[in-house]
Amino acid sequence: MSSVKDKSTPPLYWRSLEERARDPELLERLRHEFADRDPGEPSSQDRRRFMQVMGASLAFGAATGCRWQEDKLMPFTRTPEGMVPGVPSYYNTAMELNGHSVGLRVKSYDGRPIKIEGNPLHKDSQGAASAIAQAAILELYDPDRSRTPMQVQGGQAAPTSLAEFKKFARKHFSEVMSQRGEGLRVLTTRTSSPSFKDMKARFGALFPLAKWMEYEPVSDVNARAGSVLAFGSVHRAHYAFDKAKVILSLDADFLGIEPNSVSHSRLFASTRVPESETMSRLYAVESALSITGCSADHRLPLRSELIKAFTAALDYQVSQRLAPPAGLGVAQPMPAAPFLADAEVKKFFDALVKDLVANAGSSVVVAGCSQPAEVHALVHRLNAVLGNVPNTVSYTQLDSTDTRTDEQLMQQLADEIKAGRVSTVLCLDTNPVYNAPGSADFKSLLAKVKTTVHIGRYFDETARLSSFHAPLCHFLETWSDGLSWDGGVTLVQPLIAPLHESICPLEFLASVIRDSETTSLGIVRRTHREVIRDDRTWRAAVHDGAIPGTEAKRVTPELRAFGVFGFAVNELGEMNVGNGKLEISLALDSHLHDGRFANNGWLMECPDPVTKLTWDNAVLVNPGTAKELGIQNGALVEVSVAERHITVPALLSPGQAKGSLRLALGYGRTSAGVVAGNINAAEDARADSVGVNAFALRGPGLWHFGSGATVKNSGKSFPLATTQDKHGIDPIGQKGTEDRLPLIVRETTFEKYKEEPDFAKHKVHHPPLLSLWEEPVQYDGHRWGMSVDLNKCTGCGACVIACQAENNIPVVGKDRVMMGREMQWMRIDRYFSGDSDTPKVSNQPVMCQQCEHAPCEQVCPVGATQHNHEGLNDMTYNRCIGTRYCSNNCPYKVRRFNYFNFHEDMKQERNQVKGMVFNPEVTVRSRGVMEKCTYCVQRINLVKIDARNNQRDLVDGEIQTACQQTCPTGAIVFGDLNDKSSHVAQLQGRPRSYALLEELNIRPRTQYLAQVRNPNPELG
Amino acid sequence: MTPFVFPRWANKTVHIAGAVMGIAPLYLIGLVWYGLSPKTLDVGYAPQQPIPYSHALHAGELGIDCRYCHSTVEEAGTAALPSTETCMNCHARVKVNSPKLAPLRESWAKGTPVEWVKVHDLPDYVYFNHSAHVRRGIGCVSCHGRIDQMPVVYQHEPLSMSWCLDCHREPEKNLRPVSEITNMAWHPVSSSEGWQLRKMHHINPSTDCSTCHR
Repeated sequence: MSSVKDKSTPPLYWRSLEERARDPELLERLRHEFADRDPGEPSSQDRRRFMQVMGASLAFGAATGCRWQEDKLMPFTRTPEGMVPGVPSYYNTAMELNGHSVGLRVKSYDGRPIKIEGNPLHKDSQGAASAIAQAAILELYDPDRSRTPMQVQGGQAAPTSLAEFKKFARKHFSEVMSQRGEGLRVLTTRTSSPSFKDMKARFGALFPLAKWMEYEPVSDVNARAGSVLAFGSVHRAHYAFDKAKVILSLDADFLGIEPNSVSHSRLFASTRVPESETMSRLYAVESALSITGCSADHRLPLRSELIKAFTAALDYQVSQRLAPPAGLGVAQPMPAAPFLADAEVKKFFDALVKDLVANAGSSVVVAGCSQPAEVHALVHRLNAVLGNVPNTVSYTQLDSTDTRTDEQLMQQLADEIKAGRVSTVLCLDTNPVYNAPGSADFKSLLAKVKTTVHIGRYFDETARLSSFHAPLCHFLETWSDGLSWDGGVTLVQPLIAPLHESICPLEFLASVIRDSETTSLGIVRRTHREVIRDDRTWRAAVHDGAIPGTEAKRVTPELRAFGVFGFAVNELGEMNVGNGKLEISLALDSHLHDGRFANNGWLMECPDPVTKLTWDNAVLVNPGTAKELGIQNGALVEVSVAERHITVPALLSPGQAKGSLRLALGYGRTSAGVVAGNINAAEDARADSVGVNAFALRGPGLWHFGSGATVKNSGKSFPLATTQDKHGIDPIGQKGTEDRLPLIVRETTFEKYKEEPDFAKHKVHHPPLLSLWEEPVQYDGHRWGMSVDLNKCTGCGACVIACQAENNIPVVGKDRVMMGREMQWMRIDRYFSGDSDTPKVSNQPVMCQQCEHAPCEQVCPVGATQHNHEGLNDMTYNRCIGTRYCSNNCPYKVRRFNYFNFHEDMKQERNQVKGMVFNPEVTVRSRGVMEKCTYCVQRINLVKIDARNNQRDLVDGEIQTACQQTCPTGAIVFGDLNDKSSHVAQLQGRPRSYALLEELNIRPRTQYLAQVRNPNPELG
Repeated sequence: MTPFVFPRWANKTVHIAGAVMGIAPLYLIGLVWYGLSPKTLDVGYAPQQPIPYSHALHAGELGIDCRYCHSTVEEAGTAALPSTETCMNCHARVKVNSPKLAPLRESWAKGTPVEWVKVHDLPDYVYFNHSAHVRRGIGCVSCHGRIDQMPVVYQHEPLSMSWCLDCHREPEKNLRPVSEITNMAWHPVSSSEGWQLRKMHHINPSTDCSTCHR
């Protein structure tokens, strides 16, 4: 209680800076559980209008009789073999992003794919899938997807047919072919697909003068270039985080936006089990707080530009102590950087060096994609010097030798267009008008090109300026392939025939080169004909989603001595820099990536794991730096870098490095769809842009990050929809919250844990609990329960999307998120503790806790939420009359109310396709109904029915909730508590297991495993 | 001017009005209660189907087992309607030129489905699973009536929530050996047979909300 009485000390845990400062405005807002009347609500309906509508409905009711709509049953003409209508089937496929193909398993219901999960047979997935991969199902049914080819003539786009497009393509490309590809530039995304590579080679033979460019706004090209520096050839490093005792991340969000994060998360989490002998220790040095930084035991906020000198210093110090063999060369001299003399940095640095050296051979140093090639080279050296190769770091050779950066690629294309050497640009699945650097001004460049052909899933910014656009099929609509992280071939199979008049990329290339194989399937099979000769092996490979035995060999490349790197002035700077010298880093958005997924409502509304921001990007500023710059949360600021300006709201971000700004790419789309923005569309599909396009800032000197940024406060403010202050567990106002937070997230250190493993049990002291009900309550059959390991949760948000997909949860929009009306059944509470410069972070997923003495059940006047015999709090939507009493009485604030019929728009013909994504096993709720997590009761029931039908007992682990199924780290475990041998019962029996608000005696079925950090004793 | 005085007979209207006002609400409640109940509204619903298929002929007279056509009833939530192919197994040879079967032949030739009208239509928030019932020994006849005697299928039971719950509370009234589920004419040999089956197979249906609503 002392923290409340003493106004001067900030609370121990806090969710936002406002909360830390006890902002009176926020406190007032928190007092109201349900926000005031929504101005957008159809409240203007006066009484007369109401009567008219009622009258019409009654008349309608009378005219159609008292029976609901007649339903039609349409059986197959010929039922496919093995098909049972109403029973879902699962198919393995894969999604490629940024040259990495991750295996997926897709649930198909009567031929309609409805949910994406990870492929348990795929090494990189093992059943888990990222939020982006799971949300791809929503993109498949996005009504804004391009549906017909468009021809632009005289600035006007007119729909045409696929046949017309093919006719044009055949004619045009045969002309280009007759000139041996002169003036043709093909711009695609980076892909690892062997079939694509094969087609590219065939294409190159027929169009020898054409140039093929693979462009990604953020790619691993720096890592490739670093490997060339270090080894002389392109290698990919593989990190065995599961064997590591000490991990150092240098601006590398390997648990978040970096490639293969799903697999990395699993490996990392396996070392975070305090019940075992050892726990890994993660150090993070980064400019912006990332998911990895949130999980770190020690984190040093450092501007990205300083990390190169930091790494060189580390290399020098480690080499000094370990005296590496001569073959590894000599370390760079210690850079003379003022920031290294900073007391905090020095303390961190010395402890880190000591820890790394002490754990030589079982440590991992990893550098982020955004860091320059030199840092990657230094990291390769560091890992070699530390003796981590091949124990915790191993390598595979990549066959690509291309280390041109994406920046150089774009520059080259721009130069060629300017010089008039380009007559045709073929944009295959790329959107350069949106994601090319602002300095290139691709919009006007494209006007100089005679013919631009765009093939993409949306009629996007580039399509609008192209001469011809054709829709591209979704990856769930075509055959393809790709490489997993270790180089193994992953197969992509279609789940559904193309929904629209679209083209598959491989088939399009085949038609251009007059290939004898015309189908995607034929092309993919031809590519792998050497490995797979017979149909049987092929079917087995398609079934598993991968071709076994194709992974690249692990090698230990020989490190070669590389020269001493020079440092720019800003790379050796002070800890803080003033306005005009600020660093700005542009990074992929945690969910929208580079903007290609921007029109996905699930991703748009899924809160950013760190900032909890939805529906916008904002420039993140360190609170101290913000004070110096005179900007507040939500202030609209003009950010300028070398004559390029954008105006963007600022968000004060604890943990952001001093003098550093961070802005997410992927926003500010102008031609995407109703979610992300489509400012030129027809009336019914027009929408304002969401967020600000950060690509506009890109240019010479600023790709991933750059210095010399100026921030000017415009004096205006901009409302940002963050979810962090919402749904606070708040029984007696803010004071109560402050008191309770240390009891809600319970944490300790590894050392203290070993002394007192059951510390979490002793945090709350309460009088003996008396029950209002007859005790004991018996649960004879199953007693479902859940365990959430806070030590494993990284806060990535994959579970939130899994839940949304499984349970038909609507997207509500920015305005409603701002009012606290978001509908996701799961939220991940993110709490900060400590000071605002280097806060510690705790993530806590909260969903319905399925209380045995549920407070919600007692207050429902109509019995719409009732206790069942297995202890679930059942929610019966058809009974609910929307009093919201249950939500009022829920201490966890996990109930969500449908303020609107969010599916109303499906009545429009163009939106009907949206209905295909619904899970038929779960009711689609309408306006006025309360809803909440059910522990995926539909999954429980289906498995129970199946078990009973086959007269067998349930097996532990057979029923998986959607969130559990997709969790990359296995933090969520569900099962039967009555079965003492079940995984969940054992986890709940662990000493560090605790229930939220147990002092209320409501007996939640979900328990949390307290967080155990593993700090370096030297750093405290 | 003499004031207007109601005639004596007018006194009676007061009594009549009183009686009407007393009875009318009861009558109205009764009318709505009965008129809107599924028993009145839904029982007997027999929409016209694209093909005048007679269960009385096929299941009754010819004795084709229900599962020949509704083949997934024991393994899936839905008892699938037969594909055109199933019909054509016989009708490729039988009644080949019957005009009544024209939609069937059209479906077969074009590959388009026959659009049957759903008779037993539960609300969308109700999740009924055929396999869970059939595998426990609830016969087809319990919910669908004597289909084998219906030339045109109609809804025989109200399919209301209370009707479902009646059986979930007292399943013994409808239990039969699993081997007899499609036998429309089956009768228990003794009144205790249902109880014995219930005990033997541990049939304790749940009346939890989430059993049917999710």
